Amino acid sequence: MSTDRDTDADLNEEEAREQLIDLAAQFYDQFADGDVPRMEIPTRTKSNIVFDEEENVWVYGDRHSTRSANSVNGARKLLKATYTIEFLAKQLEAGRSSTLRELYYLSESWDEERAQFNDQDESNQLVEDLEIVAEVTREDFHMRPEESGATVMGPLYLREQTRRGEREIHCQKDVGEGGYQIPNNPDTIEFLEDDADFVLCVETGGMRDRLVENGFDEEYNVIVVHLKGQPARATRRLTKRLHDELGLPVVVFTDGDPWSYRIYGSVAYGSIKSAHLSEYLATPEAEFVGIRPQDIVDYDLPTDPLADSDVNALESELDDPRFQDDFWTEQIELQLDIGKKAEQQALASRGLDFVTDTYLPERLEEMDVL
Amino acid sequence: MTSFQSQLGEGGGSGATAEELAEGQRSISIAEFFEKNKQMLGFDSDAKALVTAVKEAVDNALDATEEASILPDVYVEIEDRGDYYRLVVEDNGPGITREQVPKVFGKLLYGSRFHVREQNRGQQGIGISAAVLYAQLTSGKPAKVTSKTETGGDARYFELTIDTDTNEPEIDVDESASWERPHGTRIELEMEANMRARRQLHDYIQYTAVVNPHARIEFHEPADSFKFERATDELPPETEEIRPHPHGVELGTLLKMLDATDSYSISGFLQGEFTRVGAKTAEGVCDSFRDRHFGREVAWRPPEAHEEADPEAAVREAVANKSSEATAAFAAAVAEAVAAEERLAHSEVVAVVDSTAADVAEEFDETFGETVREKAAAAAWSAVTDERAADCYELVDGATTTRKDDAAVEGLATRLAETFGSQDDGRNRVTREELRAFVDRAADAAEEYDDATFGDTARENVTDAFWERARTVPDEVPSVSAVADDRDAAARLLEAMRATDILSPPTGCLAPISEELVEAGLRKEYDADFYAAATRDAEVHGGDPFVVEAGIAYGGDIDDDGDVELLRFANRVPLVYQRGACATVDVVKEINWRNYGLDQPGGTGIPNDPAVLLIHVASTNVPFTSESKDAVANIPEIESEIELALREAARELKSYLNKRRSLEKRRRKQNVIADILPEMAEKLAEVTGREPLDVDDSLARIMNNVLVERTVDGSTVELSVHNYDDTGVSGEITEIVTADPGDHEEATVVEMDGEWFLKWAPEVAAGETATLRYEVDGDAEFDVSVEGIEAERLTIDA
Repeated sequence: MSTDRDTDADLNEEEAREQLIDLAAQFYDQFADGDVPRMEIPTRTKSNIVFDEEENVWVYGDRHSTRSANSVNGARKLLKATYTIEFLAKQLEAGRSSTLRELYYLSESWDEERAQFNDQDESNQLVEDLEIVAEVTREDFHMRPEESGATVMGPLYLREQTRRGEREIHCQKDVGEGGYQIPNNPDTIEFLEDDADFVLCVETGGMRDRLVENGFDEEYNVIVVHLKGQPARATRRLTKRLHDELGLPVVVFTDGDPWSYRIYGSVAYGSIKSAHLSEYLATPEAEFVGIRPQDIVDYDLPTDPLADSDVNALESELDDPRFQDDFWTEQIELQLDIGKKAEQQALASRGLDFVTDTYLPERLEEMDVL
Repeated sequence: MTSFQSQLGEGGGSGATAEELAEGQRSISIAEFFEKNKQMLGFDSDAKALVTAVKEAVDNALDATEEASILPDVYVEIEDRGDYYRLVVEDNGPGITREQVPKVFGKLLYGSRFHVREQNRGQQGIGISAAVLYAQLTSGKPAKVTSKTETGGDARYFELTIDTDTNEPEIDVDESASWERPHGTRIELEMEANMRARRQLHDYIQYTAVVNPHARIEFHEPADSFKFERATDELPPETEEIRPHPHGVELGTLLKMLDATDSYSISGFLQGEFTRVGAKTAEGVCDSFRDRHFGREVAWRPPEAHEEADPEAAVREAVANKSSEATAAFAAAVAEAVAAEERLAHSEVVAVVDSTAADVAEEFDETFGETVREKAAAAAWSAVTDERAADCYELVDGATTTRKDDAAVEGLATRLAETFGSQDDGRNRVTREELRAFVDRAADAAEEYDDATFGDTARENVTDAFWERARTVPDEVPSVSAVADDRDAAARLLEAMRATDILSPPTGCLAPISEELVEAGLRKEYDADFYAAATRDAEVHGGDPFVVEAGIAYGGDIDDDGDVELLRFANRVPLVYQRGACATVDVVKEINWRNYGLDQPGGTGIPNDPAVLLIHVASTNVPFTSESKDAVANIPEIESEIELALREAARELKSYLNKRRSLEKRRRKQNVIADILPEMAEKLAEVTGREPLDVDDSLARIMNNVLVERTVDGSTVELSVHNYDDTGVSGEITEIVTADPGDHEEATVVEMDGEWFLKWAPEVAAGETATLRYEVDGDAEFDVSVEGIEAERLTIDA
């Protein structure tokens, strides 16, 4: 299973196809033996993730759930899986790709009505199941998410293998203010040259634009990665590659609320839904800049009160194995104590340049990044 | 048992007896009486009149045949003749003679069955005669009766009218007639009627067929015809007649019985005319009757030595003209005997004086005449009662709470003692009511003058204390004839009978339908998927034993629109009116049918299912809400039995429904999965580029099914029975082969028309496989069938 093994990111199309067909053959053999067809998948909940000491990331534990044809739902799932396997195999054979949403609509055209998906969550989940069971990443199935990837701005020169040929791009000089758009499969990128000191991942578009406008990337030689909320796999993969291949420290700058801590968590530790890919996506060395609850107190930032759902989320994070360290325990308890949260933009209450002139330099110095 | 004038109000609660009604109607014509009491008799509308007439005639027909141990064959025809409706009811009973005709059909309120302690249909109405009268009053036509007895010969034809002045039936025509039935009776009535109560009529006939599975009933009405065949040849058991139970008679009945009995004494009457009354019980009733009739005598404590009253001196003084020795001895003996008793009532003092007088007379050879004895007794009684106030104090003090003020107790006791002292009846003889009146008067006075309070409970307690202390008098119980002439005395006797503990009546007098036949009846008339029935043990209400039965039919062809159909019966007679007033309906509504797997919106009320509920109350006296006898009264004992019977049957329904639901779920699941898996297998073969797949084995395993598979290898044939379930199965497996498999050790082999039937009965434990092997020569065709395993759980792959 993928959790026990290094997922080969460079699996070629033929290999991916074979892995899928092997999975179909497993079901075939189960039928042939008079057995009940089934597939086992690790339980994807926070209670079933364990810390992988070697890789320093969180991966799935031993708990598995079984999708088995001995229930009506299980039988339907397996039928859908079989049809999806056929679709993916054909797509790989033809060298095409499609989006997750396209898969959902495409199922409408299948003649077997019971194999069609009821909603996109179902098709997304099934693709994740197949990733795990077939040990092939979604990207290697040539499935991509709907949303285009986030952007990068900074002193980085790279070469991208596009469908229309190779492109060499400098992420400050060759791009507009919007920056360089991360492709769905960042493994098609080759880093040519860089002049960067570190990588700054920013949650919100507003803050990213502020940093670019203030020329923060130029002043501090920083590659600014826009996360666009919960980061897409491509964004996380690229961040990891910037860290691993270029040896750049990574810091994460988000809002000061429980949902933003999870954004940091998925960059640093891997997300619960894709823990099978943590080794490939997570950057365990990534550090959290802020906004920390401590900052709310220290800088006397304008705040909103915590909603009930925020409190629940914070309490749930106290139980989350990914947040079990002194820093997070202290910060979350402080936040529960003050009952407040703040956005990145709250820093503007001290002036538009406060973030680039004061807050970030102070924080980054504290963290030994500067 | 003697026959009495029938009684209309029996059990109905009104207490109005037929006798009383009849007394009231002697001055008016029978027609007028009928007119006034129509609704009571079930003839309140033209529509209902027809139902009632059919009901009376059919009940009569069924009773007549059953009494003669003949399986009933009843024919009912209703014909619209323009002005009137004609009703014809025929039975195959023993037939009746000319003498019986007026009695059976003509005499209003005739019939022995009104008072008979036996379960029978006739209780239900006032009889066919009412229908005859109704027909005569509305159409002016006589009742036409044809009857043929088993003795052979021709049938007789009669025309019968009732003289409305005298209430006497008259036979106007009596002639020989020919009739195809070997024996039986036919009655034809013409009356004003309509078919607006068609549904009730149909219900009545159909329900009668359900509850009388031994009867064959044919029914024709202007718009429809039905035939109900019999489902059993078993006649209902004959019921034993029992004498009435003392707790179950009404005053009117008691008076009639007193009038008619041959007994002289009440004790003899009780033992002779009632069930469960022996000498001891009779004595108990008589004592209780004495207490009510004569009252009791309050007993007082005789004076002790230090007290002022001296019985010896008093008696000595009272005796005159006797020798001084005898007088002294007599007085001493009386005083001694009196002192020996803890308490004495007047009658006991008299007894002491009488017996002492006899002893002393013998010893001294002197006679103590009546006058002397009376005087002596009076003197002794006066001495005994001298300290009555002290006795009263003790009783009042004992009966009231300790918190009562002593002065208040003293005041009440003194007043009571005075009341007894000044009582007209110097013997201090009181009934309980009089005693209570004494206490009330004394207590009222105490409240008024002593500023004390005596509440109702205190008064009742004091009354009880005195009543306990009082003695039943030795007076002769009045004779039967004296009581018969004295309504009040009879009422006291009835009270005494009810107050005495008496064994419950025997239950042999009841004929429940039985669980088997309730089920058979439902099975006959309702094509359902499931039937259950329950017959409870006999219970007693008042003086009457009763049995409740319930039946349920569910599913199948039973209508699925709306409420369940509720069939109500009393003594095998369907109740089709006044559903809302019936105890049976109340009970059904209160049961939580959801517990039994039925659909009951809100958890109360009539459930909403394709089901039929049957309730039968059999009793020597079914309590109805009214004289028209359409609804069973809400008697807690009976309601509780109805509920228990329904629940008993419903428990079976529940387990059936549970099983059915789980099989249904299994079937649905099987259908879905059995649909999906082949699709999946086909796609898998396509994707992997391999051979097409067979999914039966996987399917059987998924369904926890039993899979039967055949493999043929040369001449060896193997049938494998895989049991994927978690419980063992045993089934019967029959393989039909077109070639001779030879003899076989484990299977039985039978050859029929060139086919060989091999039959096994393997038992396969959970998760095990049984292999059935045999040999055939040459080519053969095979066909396997399995019995004893539900189709839902069976997969045959052979």
